[in-house]
Amino acid sequence: MTIVVAYADTPPGHAAVAAAVAESTRNRETVIIVPAVRGDAAPDVGELETRWPDIAGRVEVDRGDLGDPSDNVIQVAQRRDARLVVLGLRARTAVGKLVFGSTAQRILLDATCPVLAVKPTVADG
Amino acid sequence: MTDAAFSALASLADPSLLLMLAIGVLAGLVIGLIPGLGGTGAVAILLPVTFGMDPEPALAMLIGALAVVHTSDTVAAVLLGAPGSASASVTMLDGYAMARQGQAKRALSLAFLSSMAGGLIGAVGLTLAIPLARPLVLSFGSPELFMLTVLGVSLAAVLSRGNVVKGLTAGFLGLLLGLVGTSPTTAEERFSFGSLFLSDGLSLVAVALGVFGLAEIASRVGQRRVAEKPVELTGGWASGIREWLTHWTQVIRGSLIGIWAGILPGVGATAGTWLAYGQAVATAKDKRKFGKGDPRGIVGPESANNSVEAGDLIPTFLFGIPGGVPSAMLLGMLLTYGIQPGPAIVTDHLDLMYLIVWAFAIASIAGAFLCFLATGSLAKLTRVPFAVLGPGLLVVMLLGAFQESGQLGDLWVMVALGVAGFFLKATGMPRAPFLIGFVLAIPMERYYYLTASLYDGAEWMARPGVLAFAALLVVPVLWSLIKRLRGASGAADDGHRDEHENVAAAGDELEGSLAGTPWSAAVAVVAVFLFGGALWVSGSFSEEARLMPRLVAVCGLVAALVLTWQEARVNRRRAGRDAVKDAREPAGGSGATMLATRVEPRVDTPALTRHHDLVIAARTFAAMAAFLVLVMVGGYAAATLVFTPVFLLYAARTRPRTAIIYTLVLGLVLLSLPSLLPVDLPLGALQ
Repeated sequence: MTIVVAYADTPPGHAAVAAAVAESTRNRETVIIVPAVRGDAAPDVGELETRWPDIAGRVEVDRGDLGDPSDNVIQVAQRRDARLVVLGLRARTAVGKLVFGSTAQRILLDATCPVLAVKPTVADG
Repeated sequence: MTDAAFSALASLADPSLLLMLAIGVLAGLVIGLIPGLGGTGAVAILLPVTFGMDPEPALAMLIGALAVVHTSDTVAAVLLGAPGSASASVTMLDGYAMARQGQAKRALSLAFLSSMAGGLIGAVGLTLAIPLARPLVLSFGSPELFMLTVLGVSLAAVLSRGNVVKGLTAGFLGLLLGLVGTSPTTAEERFSFGSLFLSDGLSLVAVALGVFGLAEIASRVGQRRVAEKPVELTGGWASGIREWLTHWTQVIRGSLIGIWAGILPGVGATAGTWLAYGQAVATAKDKRKFGKGDPRGIVGPESANNSVEAGDLIPTFLFGIPGGVPSAMLLGMLLTYGIQPGPAIVTDHLDLMYLIVWAFAIASIAGAFLCFLATGSLAKLTRVPFAVLGPGLLVVMLLGAFQESGQLGDLWVMVALGVAGFFLKATGMPRAPFLIGFVLAIPMERYYYLTASLYDGAEWMARPGVLAFAALLVVPVLWSLIKRLRGASGAADDGHRDEHENVAAAGDELEGSLAGTPWSAAVAVVAVFLFGGALWVSGSFSEEARLMPRLVAVCGLVAALVLTWQEARVNRRRAGRDAVKDAREPAGGSGATMLATRVEPRVDTPALTRHHDLVIAARTFAAMAAFLVLVMVGGYAAATLVFTPVFLLYAARTRPRTAIIYTLVLGLVLLSLPSLLPVDLPLGALQ
C-alpha cells in the first residue's frame, strides 16, 4: 500500500510528512510526495531522505499531470491506489478561505480514500 | 425578433453569401491546421480580402473562418503533439496521449463533435444575448458608452495572463497608438509629425498583422522542428461518436464556460479552454486518466474553445467592447463600414446580428463535417515546418495590409510593429490589451466629448450605469491588490483553482522567455520614453485635442514607471542571485574580483536559446525589410519571385525543387488574385 502526502515547504507541510512517516513505518509502505503549492518546485528526494531518514528508500515524488495542486494530489492518490492521503492544515479565517479558497478543503471533499489532516505542533512552527 | 432571425436565414440562401461562407470555412480550417495562427491569424489574413465587399458577405466569410479555426487546430495537437493554436494545447494533453495508444480517430471524433456542439451552443448563447442585452444597450447614453470603452481596455489589461502592470502599459501603448492621426473633435493632426500618411491614422490591419502576424512568423521561423513522426490515424470513428454522446453534460458545461470566458475581455480562447479543462477535472470523481487519454479532457475544452469565439462576439457587437483579439479586428472592420456597434447595431442592423449567428452555426456544422472527411489528407499539412510557410504567409499578410490604404508606408509600419510585437511577446507583455486599446482609442475619445458637452461638470458620473461600471472597474484592482499584499506576507497557498501554470508550460516556447531579463527592462524604459515624449508633444495641441492624449500619456507614464521599477528590482535580484551562485562555485577559482564581471555572460541554456531566438528574429525582420525594399524597386510580384526562393533556400534550407515550385505557385496566385478578388498589388519604381 502507499501513502500520499500533499507537500508544502511550510510547518504544516512538514507536519504532514512527519505524520506520514509515522503511519508508514509499521508496514513499510511507500510514501509519495505530491507538491501541493502552485509554483513550487518539486522537492528533491535526497533532501527528503536526509530530513526524514526513516523513509529513506521508499519515498517518491510525483507531480501528477494536472494544473491544480489539489487535483494532482487526488490524481496521484487514485493512480497509486493510496491507502491514505496526509495533508497539513494551517490557520485560516472564514473570510480568508472565502476569498482565497482552500486546497486542503478540496482534497478533503474530493478524495476517494481516507484523508488524515494534521496541524503543526508548536515545536515545528 | 424572430422575424429578423428568419429573414437573416433566408438571406443566407443567397448563393453569393453561401459561397463566401464556404470560402471562409475552408480558409479557417486550413489556417487552424497551421501551427501558431489561430483565430487571430484567420481574421487578420481574411480581413484584407473583404475590403471592397458589402458588410454581409464580408461578415459571412470572417465568421465562417472564426467559427471553425478551433475545430481543425485539434488535428496537429492530437496527431503531432504540437498544437495548431495555443488553445489546442489543452486538447493535446489527453488527445495526444489517446492517439499514441492507437486511438487517434477516437480522439479526433470526440474533438470534432465537441467543437461542433460548442459552436452551436455558442451561437445559441449569442442569439439569447441579443434580446437580453437589447433593453440594457438601448438605455445607454454616451457616459455609459464611454465607461464601457474604459472598462474594455482596463479589464483586458487586468484579466490578461501575467503581470497587471504589464497589461496596463500595453493597453495605454495601444491607446496612444490609436490616437495617432486626425483628432475626431477638432480635426487637428496629432502625432503625425507632419507626415500626410500618418495623419490618416494607422490602419487596423497593419497594426494587427504586425503585432500578431509578423511577430508570430519571426518567433516561429526558428522554432525547433518537430522531429517526431505523426501518430498513425487509427481506431474507429464510430466508437468515438457513440462515446461522445455519453459525455453530453461535459459538452454543455464546457460550452457555457467558453461563452463566459469569451464575454470577459482579455480572457481569450486559451484561458477559457484551460478553465474548461480544470472544470472537467474538478468535477470528475475518477481523476486517474487525466493527462493519459481521458475523453473528458478532450470533450470539455474542445467545446469551450469554439464557444469562446461566439462569446467574444457578444460584448463586441452589443456593447462595442471586443472580448478578444479576433473580435477587436471584427469591430474595426464594422467601424470602417460605418456600422457603430452598441445601440446602433441593435436598432438598425439587427439582421446583421442574426446573419452572424446563423453563419456561426452553419460554419460549425460544416467545419466538423469537413474535418471528418478530410483529416487524413489535411494532416500532412501539419508537418510542414513553419520556416517553409513563412515567406508565403509574409507575402499574403503584407499584401493584405496594403489593401486598406494602398500605401507602402503601411507596410513599413507593419514591419516596425512586428518588431515591437515580437518584443512584447518575448518579454511577456500581453498583446490583447494593446490591440483592444488601439481599436477603442477613437470611440473612447468621441464618447468622452459627447459626455462632456451633454452634461454639466461631473453630473454624468452619478448616473447609475456609470457607477455600476466604475464598481466593475475597481473590483479587479482591489483584487490584485489583495493578492499582492498576501503574496508579500508570505502566504504560500493560493488555493484557487486556475491552470495558468500549465498555460506557460504547454503554450509557446517564446512567450515570456525574455521576461525578467535586461531586455524586458529595456522594453519598460522605451515605454517610459514613448509616454514621456507623447506628453511633451501633446503640449502643442489645442485645448480640446490635448485632453485625451495627455490623459493617456500621464496614466501610461505612471504604469510604465511602475513597470520599470519592477523590472529593475527583478534584474537586481537576479544579478544578486547569480553573483551568489558564482561565489558558491569554487570551480572558477579566480576569486572575488571576477564576480562583478561574470554576472552577465554566464553560459546557461535558457540564455543560449534566448540568444538564438533573438538572432533568428532579427534575421527574419531584416529579410522582411529587404523584401519591402524590393517591392519599392520592382513591384510586388517581382519582389515575391526574388524573395521567396532566396528565403526558402537560405533561411528555411529547403531543396531547390521545393523552392522553385513554391515560388512559381505563389507567383501564379499573386498574378491571378487581382482578377478573382478586389485586390491591388503594390507597384514598384521600375514599373
